[in-house]
Amino acid sequence: MLMALVRRLMLSCLILFMVAVFVFAATEVLPGDALDVYLSSDDLAVMSEADIDEMRQRFGLDRPAWVRFWEWFSGAIFGDLGKTLIDERDIVDLIWHPLLNSVILGAIITAITLPTAFTIGSITGYKRGSRTDAAVSTLTIVGYSIPDFVIGNVLIILFAVWLALFPAVIFVFSNASTSELLAVSLLPALTVIIGHVAHQSRLLRAGFIETMNSEFVERARLSGLSERRVVLRHALPASVIPMLNSLALYVAGLLAGLVVVERVFGYPGLGRELIEAVARREVHVVQGITFWSASFIILMNLLADLAIMALDPRVRSAKSA
Amino acid sequence: MSEATTWNRIQRSPGTMIGLALVLAHALVAIFAPWIAPYEVTSIVGFPMSPIGTPDFLLGTDNIGRDYLSRLMMGGRTSIFVALVAIAGSVAGASFLAISAAYIGGHYDDIVMRIVDTMLAIPGILFVALIVTGFGRSEAVLIFAIGFSYMPGAIRVIRSHALTIVPLGYVQAARLRGISVFRIFLRELLPNCIEIITVEFALRMSSSILAVSALSFLGLGISPPTPDWGLMIAEAVKTIYAAPMLVLLPSLFISTLVVGLNLASDGLANAIGLDAARGLN
Repeated sequence: MLMALVRRLMLSCLILFMVAVFVFAATEVLPGDALDVYLSSDDLAVMSEADIDEMRQRFGLDRPAWVRFWEWFSGAIFGDLGKTLIDERDIVDLIWHPLLNSVILGAIITAITLPTAFTIGSITGYKRGSRTDAAVSTLTIVGYSIPDFVIGNVLIILFAVWLALFPAVIFVFSNASTSELLAVSLLPALTVIIGHVAHQSRLLRAGFIETMNSEFVERARLSGLSERRVVLRHALPASVIPMLNSLALYVAGLLAGLVVVERVFGYPGLGRELIEAVARREVHVVQGITFWSASFIILMNLLADLAIMALDPRVRSAKSA
Repeated sequence: MSEATTWNRIQRSPGTMIGLALVLAHALVAIFAPWIAPYEVTSIVGFPMSPIGTPDFLLGTDNIGRDYLSRLMMGGRTSIFVALVAIAGSVAGASFLAISAAYIGGHYDDIVMRIVDTMLAIPGILFVALIVTGFGRSEAVLIFAIGFSYMPGAIRVIRSHALTIVPLGYVQAARLRGISVFRIFLRELLPNCIEIITVEFALRMSSSILAVSALSFLGLGISPPTPDWGLMIAEAVKTIYAAPMLVLLPSLFISTLVVGLNLASDGLANAIGLDAARGLN
């Protein structure tokens, strides 16, 4: 058991390191260095060779790639992402409030999405093949097929343009208080929830069907327990495990959803910051946001696997054997 | 399973038939758009923001006076093309890596799977944002980035299927007869994975069309003046109060295409007895 734990931890560290190598290589090694990416052809037309060399020195870009990588990586895992190229602002300062705002929005979405999807998934899974199941299945396919930015804009047209209940664009500073943010997060949250409830409830339906077909549910049935007890006490708790298995995928999907929806509504979060940074070619900001998001997914994946180790007797015995 | 029963099952499911009809309609429009679109997509032909039903402009004009119907008809071609090339490359690469990893095993398998784990940790949109920052915004970069971001998921699914085939008698018999790895791959393994590869292709095709249009909407994908639904929506939200229809029409086009693709591929997966839900991400 302990060995399995240590191996799992080491795997996470390895993946974290490989993600860092990839993120750094894709933006600073293969296309040249940060300045090659940052400076546009207009900049190059007005800057002299000496100016560029001086800038390169100031940002330490004249050193070999592996030195720069190590400096960036060792900073990034301990909460220092370096400075922006344009005005040398500290990147962590820049993204800190947007990060918190995205966490708030993501938490609201998750708190509603997962229980709803769990309920829909287990009911349709239990009644599989029925009319309800077929109808809900078709509805969920439609639900996750419609792009987030379409749902968001349709909500804006419905509630802001036609009914005039909300403003179409959010005007809140990124350091707004939690209550201000909650007030404006209603439509963005709803947008992501619609697609994610549809997607997650399909995955959970599949997981629940698998659980209902498994031997221990058969055994519980044969030992004469009531159907109610079989489902509530045996099948439902066990179907949490497939849910944990897909947790990392859920988080990755959620992050992607946040990027889109923050752009649609102008919500002051990390996703909006990312898109603006890409437009300004702020290499270090894009790197930082990507690396931290990936680290978060790796952490979630690790926690989910640890939870599965603790919960699932089959995994527990297989690992200790 | 015979062709007839598969087709019967498809016919019995109204969702699948609606899906196939939507895909067929979109495919026809996308293929013949250059001949049936009434106007040149980039030329200004009328007053800006003419409403639906204006004479000569069936669906009105956009914010600078280009014919909206023509732009809508042409608006799917680029994203469908990008998605098609990206996913074909992605699934082909994934099939090769997945089947060879399952067959060869050992360190090779370990290395492939660790790379898969690494790539799964970076969400698709962030991956593309990273690549676009590094290499600039072009269709080639987009195809490469999307193709790569869909590979790890496909590798996982195809590898776990291939792992069930490798230990089978005929594969081991071929190995013992001394047939080359290359021939075993082509003659024994690939044909037996082709069903799952097809379903992977169909499922990822719809999700990558979604991805391309979302990226275009965000300003990371297809660039103007190419007509594209995602781009058209991004452009039209600036005048959302004055002309909400300019947002709703491209929304309708992109949604019906993806809904159609997903209904059809879900139905096909069910008809050949695979559970479509597990391959989605």
